[in-house]
Amino acid sequence: MSLLSVDHLSIGYQTKKGMLKAVDNIRFDLEKGQSLGFVGESGCGKTTIGMALMGLLPENAVILGGHIRFQGEDLASLTETQWQTVRGAKIAMIFQAAMNALNPVMPVNEQIKEAIITHQPDISKTDLADRMKELFDLVDIPARRMKDYPHEYSGGMKQRAIIAMALACDPALIIADEPTTALDVIVQDQILREIKKVQEATRTGLVFISHDIAVVASVCERICVMYAGQIVETGTRKEVFKSPRHPYTRTLLNSYLSLDNLNDIRVPDMKESPDQMIDTDECRFAGSCAYAKGCAGRSPDWIDISPTHKAFCCNPDMIRRGHGKS
Amino acid sequence: MQNKYFWWRFYKGWRIFIENPLGKTGVIILSVFMIMAMASFFVPLIDPMYDPMTGIDPDIKLSTGPGLTHWLGTDNVGRDILAQLLEGAKVAFIVGLSSAFFSIVIGTLIGMIAGYTGGIIDAALMRFADIIMVLPSLVILLILASLFGQFNIWIIVFIIAILRWPAVSRVIRSQTLSLKHRPFIEASRVAGASHVRIVLRHIMPNVLPLAFLYMTFRVTSAILVEASLSFLGFGDPSQVSWGMMLQWVWKSGHMFQAPYWLIPPGLCISLLTLAFYMLGRAMDEVLDPRLRKEGQTG
Amino acid sequence: MEKADSKSRILVEMKQVTKAYASRKKLFTGSSPQVLALNSIDLSIAKGEVFGLVGQSGSGKTTTGRLLVRLESPTAGEIFFNKTPISQLKGSGLKTYRSRVQMIFQDPYQSLNPHLSIAETVLEPLIVQKIGTPDTRTEKVVHTLDTVGLSPGEAFFNRYPHQLSGGQRQRVAIARAIVLEPQFIVADEPTSMLDATIAIQLFQLLEQIKETFGMTVLFITHNLAAARYMCDRIAVIHDGHIVEVNTADNIIRHPEHPYTKQLIKVQPGFKYTR
Repeated sequence: MSLLSVDHLSIGYQTKKGMLKAVDNIRFDLEKGQSLGFVGESGCGKTTIGMALMGLLPENAVILGGHIRFQGEDLASLTETQWQTVRGAKIAMIFQAAMNALNPVMPVNEQIKEAIITHQPDISKTDLADRMKELFDLVDIPARRMKDYPHEYSGGMKQRAIIAMALACDPALIIADEPTTALDVIVQDQILREIKKVQEATRTGLVFISHDIAVVASVCERICVMYAGQIVETGTRKEVFKSPRHPYTRTLLNSYLSLDNLNDIRVPDMKESPDQMIDTDECRFAGSCAYAKGCAGRSPDWIDISPTHKAFCCNPDMIRRGHGKS
Repeated sequence: MQNKYFWWRFYKGWRIFIENPLGKTGVIILSVFMIMAMASFFVPLIDPMYDPMTGIDPDIKLSTGPGLTHWLGTDNVGRDILAQLLEGAKVAFIVGLSSAFFSIVIGTLIGMIAGYTGGIIDAALMRFADIIMVLPSLVILLILASLFGQFNIWIIVFIIAILRWPAVSRVIRSQTLSLKHRPFIEASRVAGASHVRIVLRHIMPNVLPLAFLYMTFRVTSAILVEASLSFLGFGDPSQVSWGMMLQWVWKSGHMFQAPYWLIPPGLCISLLTLAFYMLGRAMDEVLDPRLRKEGQTG
Repeated sequence: MEKADSKSRILVEMKQVTKAYASRKKLFTGSSPQVLALNSIDLSIAKGEVFGLVGQSGSGKTTTGRLLVRLESPTAGEIFFNKTPISQLKGSGLKTYRSRVQMIFQDPYQSLNPHLSIAETVLEPLIVQKIGTPDTRTEKVVHTLDTVGLSPGEAFFNRYPHQLSGGQRQRVAIARAIVLEPQFIVADEPTSMLDATIAIQLFQLLEQIKETFGMTVLFITHNLAAARYMCDRIAVIHDGHIVEVNTADNIIRHPEHPYTKQLIKVQPGFKYTR
């Protein structure tokens, strides 16, 4: 049994103009100790997935269908009271700019202690002390800094404290939503290494969400590329980045500036993002796709390239042929 | 104003506003009072005896209760209470709205100038505002009235406005401060725009919604101040108002004898101020939460 | 590619410019320590060059840009534009300077006044600088909107910022900056709030504009890869000091300062997959 198994999940936002489908028929599985990255641009639905996995969907969001099975339990049907035993204890979260979530008038170790005691009220004093030491070691915060207040920490240390807090209850799954977006590149690099190291050491499942493909590439073993609410390509890190098949994945890779791909940059001709109010079976990327010839009126389908590598497209020949990284 | 964004926001705001139960109730109560104020123009035309000030029913010498010719009864000289009540609604609107309007004009101007210029001008204007803010307006009005005799209603309106702008200016100032360093203001500076242009073209449209919100609160307080002043006998003697009606009930010794005379003006004062207050609260919901928070600090 | 080797072709020069901000007073000592945003920096940008200023938040890179467009004044040192000192300019002198130097801001959601239509926003610089007649101004705005890829320009005339996407808003901000045909543009992280596919299109647009109008650009960014893509020369700024200046290729291939080396090392890329 998978740790997390999401099946045909669709989530919509009730707006004045009608239902906006933010997440459309998503499926993925995550095994214990694995890491899965979601990458896509603003409005692609990646954050909605993260919120659904934490039971933190806003009030106007509706789960239109599908299941989120976590350790055999369907999260999509939990009540708020039931969520409280899951959130923080079994599933933990690291947000963007989460360091601002630390209470400024309380020492950091007290806040982490509190997180442990909330979910394990009868933990003994010695166990608690051991656990604290273990956590601070794990995220590389020296023991002498444990009792400091948040303002005495640098931005990177605060984010590490947040990671320690997320790990406090030994969760089976961590959701990281843009955890390094507000940080400088040097700190970002440290935190990404930290997350990767911690995830490997604790064998926790990790769902990592980011708009930055290189960041996702540095942390996750498997990647899902999202566009307009749908997963359009999924595969291992190597498959997706070395041999991208979906035209959107290629567009994304070709427009990403990094020091090692400057010569491959191609300026895409992106049209307006598609109208997600309309419920359609047709390909949503067709309007901006350089290869969309004769796609009109056809519905895309999943095309297998390898047992782990799949793309969602109308054009199986093109996908199977592959174009290398171009 | 041909500003499309303004109207778009106005329309969206109106939708939120009218879906809010407070806003809806406020609008309903207010419409009733507006109809009353309109009606006050027509009642004396039916019969001169329905003139709220000078119309005396020749058949009546004492205050009488509700009846067919006088639905709410008459006062002790035979004037129609309903006619006075309608006239009072008109006066309350005039006093409340015009005084509130003057105070937000003064308050918005001073607030924008203080917030935008900063430094010593800001400090001077704000200390001045503090001094006026702590003055108790009713007491000041009473002292002035006892010094100079009873005032004309417009002078009362104006004095209330002059004493009531500081709270508005504080809020507008803090809003201006937060706007001053927004990139679109800086972009305008980089293009070479003058300070006057920046204030009028870029800052004013962005603080006006907040100014309107504060106007509703000012209306409430102006109506209450005028009513108290009139009740205490310092109102404009040539003008019927609800406070004046209460003053007449009290002066003629009918406080406990004529509930049909005492209750309507009292109830009207409470309901109208309540309606404006509800309006303000509902507008509060419309404005974005960030504005709301800054509004409370002022 | 332009080079800064000829002294006569220098457009912008900063000489020992320092900018200090007073930080909050200490409660008991009563002293107000100064925070040095820029510590005696020297910089020269040649005509027609795209010059990159790369640094992390708090490094002083944005302060440099704001000094150059005179949103701030230096605490010490002098800034020269076409060999004329500009830090004391006032009145009409300053206004003229402002018609030559423009800025593109980071956040397209904050840099447009929500109450002004696109036409009003782009018209403003022409109006305040009293350039042209109402008719020629309108024509100029339509043309500029076409140039920045919002075409047909007329279609965007009466739209408001909230009706546009982030990328379109930033195009409007670029139109506002180039409508006066300035000689020098400061672009302060113009794409850091935008998606990669949108950002790369804006880079291409900036490059086209630079070619067409022969403008000089100061490109401020935290992203070394973007700077290398856009710029002829790059300066790395750290804690208010410029630690290294070189041509874009050289600074990446042969970094000399340890801070530059570290920046290059941590730059996200696909090295993990290779």
